[in-house]
Amino acid sequence: MKNPITAFIDKKLQRFDPIWRAENGKGGQRDRYYDKTGIAKHREWRGVHDTMADYLAWLNNLKSMGLMVAKAPLPVIKGIWEYRWMGSYLGTFAFIDRLFEGFRGPELKIAHLNMHAIVQSLTKKIALVLANDARLGGGPLTEKMVPMDEVLPPLFMCGFPNLIPIPLQTLPEFIICDIDQQLEPYYIDIAESFGLAADVCSRCSAETGVTFNDDFPIIGKALLSTNMPCNASEATSMFQRRRIGLPDFPVTLAMIHNEPGAHPYSTQILRDAIKFIEEEYGEKYDWDALFERAKQMNEQNTIELEKWDIFKTEYSALCGIAETLYRLYSWASVNGQEDYFTKVDRKVIKIMRRCYEKKHKPFGGKTRHRAFLWGPSAVYYTDFPTWVQNCWGINIVLNMDSTMGHNMISTEDPEQAIKDLALFSEKGVMRHHAVGGWDNVNAVWDWAKNFNCDMVLMNDNVACKGMNGVHAMMEEQARDLGFYFIFIEHDLEDCRTVSRRDMRNIVNNYMSVVVGEEPLDPTLVDFDDSEAW
Amino acid sequence: MKKKLGSILVKLLLVLLGAFAATFTIYMFNLENKLIYYVIRPFLNKHYDSQKRDRRIV
Amino acid sequence: MKDLKHLIYFENLLQEANNELVAKAVEDGEIALGYNCYYIPEVLLNLPGCFSSRLRAPRCQSADIATYYMTNRNCPYVRSILERAIEGGYNYLSALFGAEGCAAMERMEEHFFLLNPVKHDNFFVTIIDPPMKGDKTSLDYYKQQLQLKVLDAMHDKLGVDTSDAALREAVARFNELCDVMTEIGNFRKLENPPITGYEFHVMQLVSEVCPHNLILPYLKETLEELKTREPEPSFPFRARVVIAGSEIDDPEFTKLIEMCGAMVVADRYCFGSFPGRERIEIAEGETAFDAICRHYQHWNQCARFMSGDKIDQRHTEVKRLVDEFGADGVIYESMKFCEFWSYEKVLASHVLTNEMGVPCCTIEKEYALGSVGQLRTRFQAFVESLEIKKLQAKEASR
Repeated sequence: MKNPITAFIDKKLQRFDPIWRAENGKGGQRDRYYDKTGIAKHREWRGVHDTMADYLAWLNNLKSMGLMVAKAPLPVIKGIWEYRWMGSYLGTFAFIDRLFEGFRGPELKIAHLNMHAIVQSLTKKIALVLANDARLGGGPLTEKMVPMDEVLPPLFMCGFPNLIPIPLQTLPEFIICDIDQQLEPYYIDIAESFGLAADVCSRCSAETGVTFNDDFPIIGKALLSTNMPCNASEATSMFQRRRIGLPDFPVTLAMIHNEPGAHPYSTQILRDAIKFIEEEYGEKYDWDALFERAKQMNEQNTIELEKWDIFKTEYSALCGIAETLYRLYSWASVNGQEDYFTKVDRKVIKIMRRCYEKKHKPFGGKTRHRAFLWGPSAVYYTDFPTWVQNCWGINIVLNMDSTMGHNMISTEDPEQAIKDLALFSEKGVMRHHAVGGWDNVNAVWDWAKNFNCDMVLMNDNVACKGMNGVHAMMEEQARDLGFYFIFIEHDLEDCRTVSRRDMRNIVNNYMSVVVGEEPLDPTLVDFDDSEAW
Repeated sequence: MKKKLGSILVKLLLVLLGAFAATFTIYMFNLENKLIYYVIRPFLNKHYDSQKRDRRIV
Repeated sequence: MKDLKHLIYFENLLQEANNELVAKAVEDGEIALGYNCYYIPEVLLNLPGCFSSRLRAPRCQSADIATYYMTNRNCPYVRSILERAIEGGYNYLSALFGAEGCAAMERMEEHFFLLNPVKHDNFFVTIIDPPMKGDKTSLDYYKQQLQLKVLDAMHDKLGVDTSDAALREAVARFNELCDVMTEIGNFRKLENPPITGYEFHVMQLVSEVCPHNLILPYLKETLEELKTREPEPSFPFRARVVIAGSEIDDPEFTKLIEMCGAMVVADRYCFGSFPGRERIEIAEGETAFDAICRHYQHWNQCARFMSGDKIDQRHTEVKRLVDEFGADGVIYESMKFCEFWSYEKVLASHVLTNEMGVPCCTIEKEYALGSVGQLRTRFQAFVESLEIKKLQAKEASR
């Protein structure tokens, strides 16, 4: 039941609401922006209640950033001065605005709950890393940190309660590309200036550029690299191990990971990795400590599976980027290490259950298509799912990376636990379905069918040799099975090759020419955001 | 005593209202992002571009 | 130099995958087994009753259909192989033993069962997950994969004898071929060799694409011929180079380098003899299968290996070849769109040049020899720089 006062105000101010404006032919979301920059003249008016919810979430995130600076004022200032990538974090507020444009009611509430979990975790991590970065003077925990490849799930490292696993590339490369599309091209150019071919995966090229430019924080006593997710990622590790100069252990999990023979091997690799850390750090593996964290991960995965049941219906208040980004961060970076995420999951599932019972349709029931997002997404266009919903009414129900390791980990038997961890770790980011054989990638149709999707959006990373290798087969399958199917070309972390605008145009053309539909918000169809973060 | 408490409450309310007005204005008019985009980032980028880094392969 | 008696015959054998000797062996009831990558031990595919056929796509001018399937943003070698398969060029094969050597390779091999381009009764494909490190855990996994997806598949589906005795016999015959090829290759160590890099490349390729028992007599005869072959009066090249890199199965590429003035004295690339023609030694108490797996894991120089020991081995092995074959420099080659070698050539050329003092040139090429003009310019410039370095060294030593 809506408050009559806020209802009255909403009615009076509705002409400022971009959704109302689009519905009434008076404009839309894009009216608020300065051309090219992605900077809004003013924030979105979402009605009293939702604007206040967004404002409070903004304050809450501001508080987390304030706490980060308060925790380690000098290292944070030094970090901003030292590292180019730190400057890009200043774009976080604009990033959050982009992600949740057009979100209202429970969708907005859940989105902010999820987003704040990421912000509070990430700000703590930044403060922790900078405060112990040897380049900036170091700290008491410098040698207790274990730099790990960011795509190696860190849960198994929880058996070392005195050590802190740090996903090395996440801060300077991966998550910051979500926030600022302009950053990674700088690093890519550095890598290419040393002769690296321009046709390799831009994520790994950017990592290489960060390495060459000496832009990784200096932490830890030994390094865990990995073969995950793919070829270029394996290759870039060669440079990192030499430049970082620490003893390293490549955690080479099975590539063809959907076969029974793969798991014993991956299990042994994890055992070898644990032994390596024990030797390098002089620590003993503590299974009870692992079990404690595994319980958190298990609970999160149990809730995740319940979420999936709701995703299958049209009454899910969690969808699009709010789902995708949270699952990616909470699985790949947190991986059971932080209780905060379990608490958020409990809150979110409660809201989702309530919405399901009330038969609440997200986005005002304007969803026209339910889409499964497959293949590794463009990191520089994180708000793409938001745009497809707002512009064309395409609801991204679930994305490939959200299907990462969801098996339960034994919390009693070390032998079983390590086997479970191997299976869990093999199915990591950009890997569960993109690597390891045709059956994995071809699974999309079953997923799409199970989640009642009529559309598959296939991320087409132009430099991904593995996914390029199934191009026509996927297209033919889509045709045979009767799915709407769009290849979304992108260059993962290089917005110059395929711009956000180019990506939008691919969808625009398909939706207007093939499907023959009109956009929900015409201001979103074609616009220039080339100078935006 | 009652009067004093009342005046403290009024002051607190005014401070909170002022804080709300200030932060809500910043929020609604996107002032922090405008400041970062047009002032802080160009300044920082200039600094980053002038940095001398130990740039090499290994 | 006088022409080698069988050179034109060898060259003709390289014009088709299903060449005269392959056709003869199949006609005689031998089972043809295809493979693409060193990770699949050649010796295993040469068990009694079988022969190995390393897949090439000679004279492939366009790969339009394969490009439709795999896009034009993918390795031209794998696209050419797929194209040739679709054209029916591998219909003589009974099986393809693939390796997830790289993502592109795996996807190409998958098309062999998705599209069924090979029209041969009961043709099948298996793909192993090869190791990425040189340690025991990786060796155990390699053994398990080869047992399951090569030996067991050969035994169960083709009825091949995979016993230890059969494997020992295969190793003995394989070693014989390796000894002949090594002896031929060693002529390249001489100051004025009686063989060119091009000629060796042709011989190395025929030894990989033809049934061993049928090609061996020709190679032995050529070896004898080389022992008495008169070299040119003086060394006809301006420099000596090692080529390191990925798939090079076109001897015209070697010829191009030699026409620019640099003799290719060692071939450290896929399809080359380093690795490929080292003897397999079976240790006391070791099974033949274990020895084979150990041998292939040890000698494998693939840029896919990511443990420190194997990365360093890649560079020291090239340096060893430079020293043993008296090379002046190294040409690092990578196929366009090859992720592994794109990275490796940056690192390796840096290590070789700056840490080992060996001049390097890095190039990128298509599968079918295109952009010859550009490559020629690069090679000529490199040869010139090697000559200048030699002159400078001579001056300095005076």
